[in-house]
Amino acid sequence: MSPALRRYIAVRLLLTIPMLLILVTLVFVILRVLPGDPAVAIMREGASEEQLDTFRAAVGLDKPLHIQYLNFIGGVVRFDFGQSMTRKLPVTQEIRTFFPATVELAISAMIITGILGVFSGAFAAQHRKSPADYGIRIASIILYSMPIFWLGLMFQMFFGARLGWLPVSGRLDPGMTPERIITGMYTVDAVLTGDWALLKDALRHLVLPSLTLGLVLAGIFTRLTRANMLDVLEQDYITAGRARGLREAVLVYKHGLRNAFIPIVTLLGLQLAILLAGAILTETTFSWPGLARLVIDRIYDRDFTTVQGAILFFALLVAGMSLVVDTLYGFLDPRIRY
Amino acid sequence: MDKVLYGIRDLVVEYRTRVGTLSPVDHVSFDIQRGEVLGLVGESGCGKTTLGKALMRMIEAPGVIASGQLLFDGVDLMQLSRRRMRELRGSRISMIFQDPMTSLNPVQRVVDHMTETIRVHQPSTSLKAARARASELVDRLGIRQSSLGDYPHQLSGGMRQRVMIGLALALRADLVIADEATTSLDVLVEAQFLDLLRELQAEFELTIVLITHNIGIVAELADRVAVMYAGQLVEMAEVHDLFRDPKHPYTQGLLRAVPNIRLGRDDLYKMPGSPPNLIAPPRGCRFNPRCPQVMDICRVRDPAFELVTPGRRVHCWLYQDQPEIVSEKVQARL
Amino acid sequence: MTTTTPDAVPVRPPLLVDENVGILRRIWRGRIWYGAEWYITIFGALILVFMTTMTLMAPRIAPYDPNEFVGAQFTPPGRGEQALLARAGESPVGPGADLTGLVIGVQRNQNGVNLARQLGANGERFQDQASMLEALQAGQVDLIFVSQEKVPDALAEQPGLAVVTGNLGRDFLLGTDNLGRDILSRLMWGARTVLGVALMSALLSSSIGISLGLISGFLGGAVDRVLSLTMDSVYSFPGLLLAVAMAAMLGPGLINVAVAISVIYIPTFFRVVRGQVLSIKEELYVEAARSIGARPITILARYIFPNVIPSVAVVFSLNVADAILTEAGLSFVGLGLPPDIPDWGYDLSKGQSFLVAGHWWMVTFPGVLITFVAMGFSLLGEGLSEILNPRLVKS
Repeated sequence: MSPALRRYIAVRLLLTIPMLLILVTLVFVILRVLPGDPAVAIMREGASEEQLDTFRAAVGLDKPLHIQYLNFIGGVVRFDFGQSMTRKLPVTQEIRTFFPATVELAISAMIITGILGVFSGAFAAQHRKSPADYGIRIASIILYSMPIFWLGLMFQMFFGARLGWLPVSGRLDPGMTPERIITGMYTVDAVLTGDWALLKDALRHLVLPSLTLGLVLAGIFTRLTRANMLDVLEQDYITAGRARGLREAVLVYKHGLRNAFIPIVTLLGLQLAILLAGAILTETTFSWPGLARLVIDRIYDRDFTTVQGAILFFALLVAGMSLVVDTLYGFLDPRIRY
Repeated sequence: MDKVLYGIRDLVVEYRTRVGTLSPVDHVSFDIQRGEVLGLVGESGCGKTTLGKALMRMIEAPGVIASGQLLFDGVDLMQLSRRRMRELRGSRISMIFQDPMTSLNPVQRVVDHMTETIRVHQPSTSLKAARARASELVDRLGIRQSSLGDYPHQLSGGMRQRVMIGLALALRADLVIADEATTSLDVLVEAQFLDLLRELQAEFELTIVLITHNIGIVAELADRVAVMYAGQLVEMAEVHDLFRDPKHPYTQGLLRAVPNIRLGRDDLYKMPGSPPNLIAPPRGCRFNPRCPQVMDICRVRDPAFELVTPGRRVHCWLYQDQPEIVSEKVQARL
Repeated sequence: MTTTTPDAVPVRPPLLVDENVGILRRIWRGRIWYGAEWYITIFGALILVFMTTMTLMAPRIAPYDPNEFVGAQFTPPGRGEQALLARAGESPVGPGADLTGLVIGVQRNQNGVNLARQLGANGERFQDQASMLEALQAGQVDLIFVSQEKVPDALAEQPGLAVVTGNLGRDFLLGTDNLGRDILSRLMWGARTVLGVALMSALLSSSIGISLGLISGFLGGAVDRVLSLTMDSVYSFPGLLLAVAMAAMLGPGLINVAVAISVIYIPTFFRVVRGQVLSIKEELYVEAARSIGARPITILARYIFPNVIPSVAVVFSLNVADAILTEAGLSFVGLGLPPDIPDWGYDLSKGQSFLVAGHWWMVTFPGVLITFVAMGFSLLGEGLSEILNPRLVKS
């Protein structure tokens, strides 16, 4: 690793700390500082004064703001998010239970998005201003203009209700339980333990949700890839390569993509944010027991600490992924590496 | 062996835009002799780069080669399939581009650039053999062996341009087209580059087309010169003849416009007017609005690009028989 | 050899882009100049016009009140008609017959009673179709209303019934929802809500984002670094999650939702504006202005801001598109607007539970409309982007 790269990573690492601080503060502000009484907001109307006070004490709202803030930060640093108010379990345990489902969904959606998005984007860029190009562009705009949950509902209606091919909710059929949970992702665990029945069931349940999320995201991804590829394909080195007799396909898919990939990778962090946002809706639509849906459910459950913890966890996740992506970028772009 | 390496016959390149069709190369015919250095000069926008690309059949949409013949070593390139044309590129005709920084793939090492080019045209070459050849080439060009493993941004401008030459010669091309190859280099580096080019030309018996707007380079390196204006060739001659006795008024103006340190402060010559809009070029000779020696016929009819003296072609009524001008009404009455 | 000169030489001039023509003419001319991008932008703009028209005209052209229970529940789209059935042989003849004083059995909702009253008869409510049919047979009621499409089944089930007349009742072009509200009217009225919320949040985001972007880009230094880092952090946080958190804490309400959504887009405006400011700052004409002693505020207002507007317009359009989707998302998870305001997202969320029963129209139409409108704004934004910052093809 060259000194330039080392320095780049070090800088990036240092920047993560203020970024985390800002995010955590943001969450703090939203959850506790915004106008309106958090206790009332969570407990809703009809709660007695007693209930509100119990709530406030449990959450720590009765203390002065700066004390709250310090406790908040302290909690984050120690990775202690307190106890769930309705389940009497540590929030971290709840997170550990539900997070793998979200990961499973996210990864499978990303695979769909990646393959679909990259290739259609590259193809559209290569055949610019052709009917195929316009077709791909229109299709991608329609896809990302769709409300994710609506696409999900349409899929449910079609494949679930009408055709009955695929299940429309949950991760497994009732009665199907995994023998061992290793990663929490049923597909992975099934492969690791050789439980093929489990794998089949888990995959069947995974199809519709990941297709929904993946397709909508693919709309955005295609657009990004196409834009970057257009920039790249206009570059002189592509023309120079053509002058040396390289084939079009090689130019576009090897040289072009390789160069376009770098700015796309930097956008992967952004993609993650959109992915998580989409996960909220997808998990809700398909009753997928993931962390994103947990946030929504626990808001209704009046489980403030879990909601707070889950959101904080997402903030940490985002900051971490941002760091990973930037580091990856450093390795990919030789201009930074050397 | 035939003396003429590349015969261009009545080449027309068109760009079809939404506001009209224009011809940056308009009925151009000339020969490129084997082993010569042909300079192609003209202002920006005169069509010389387009001509250079057309010579390799690299005109992209919305441009198209509308008509003409490209007789390279006896074969009309216009008749070749795209695959055959692609095989020619890089192996028999190659190009050196203007900006070496952007003409090299930033994520590909120098050695990979070369081995890829070699193996595309000679697929049976092993990676090891290709690397060996790249190594030799690099030696010949005065590049350090260690630079082979570098990425383009790690090299200096002059080094990068040498790499470009290396790529152009990797397969011993017959014809090398240098499109503004020195424009982005500073003067010293440019001088080194030209020396190198001269050496290589002698050693590999290259034929070079030197496209540039810098007349000085042409004077230094070229055997013959072609002057281009508004999509047409206006003059073509041996280099010494051209500089000693420019015949076309545009060439004369071009040479006078070169700053000369001996001139007085106010003697800098500017050619009046500006290059024409190629969508609606002037009627008759395209240079007529700016020509100091314009005649009536110039505004009406376009002259031909004819031999005036042996080895000299000029596109001008001053050196050709002029037809009589008669008004259409009169003609109808006759 | 002679040559001739034609006396008049018609030369077609190229498109003169600085001719003095009106704005509409210019837009039309753009068709040739911009090609396909033009059609895309105009399509988007037309959708915008359509939305605005619906928004403004909803009170006048919506067939029903969006909050009133005007029809039978779960009427499928089309003509949700009712047929009048009587005991065979006893029916008052044909349509237009006098029904005064007769009793008509209605199923469950007020709509049927209203309809009966319209016809001059009295309506009596029953829990379900079975008890209603019994009552008819027993003579407790003279006639009953049955949904037109269910007539064949009813006739098959209960012999001895005859159809008096069909095609009664009201048309519901897109059907009714679970509470008997007309979906078409709800969608029309919903347009106001959706557009209102989206625009409000977009205006909020843009004013904050643009101001901060201008300041940050112009001042540079520590202020810029801090602001940029903050904005980047917010930008990387999942938008909907942010909106969910805010909406949950702020509570339901139109303004609260708009505020919750607007926070998501502030960083986008900030980034774009800041980027523009940074590049414009380096331009020669700004340096020239500075050298003649122009005050910073003048430079900002006169030179930088006007050049920022094109990009801002693009981002604004895309922002509205995204805001519409986010708002729908919020409504879907139940954190959106209060139920008394007609809203597309809310309709979608309510419709989900009834999908199993086969009532597809409650979910399909709002979704189509949301997609359509979001697409329109996106197309407008993308088209504008191509026109204002064209991707020049290198040749």
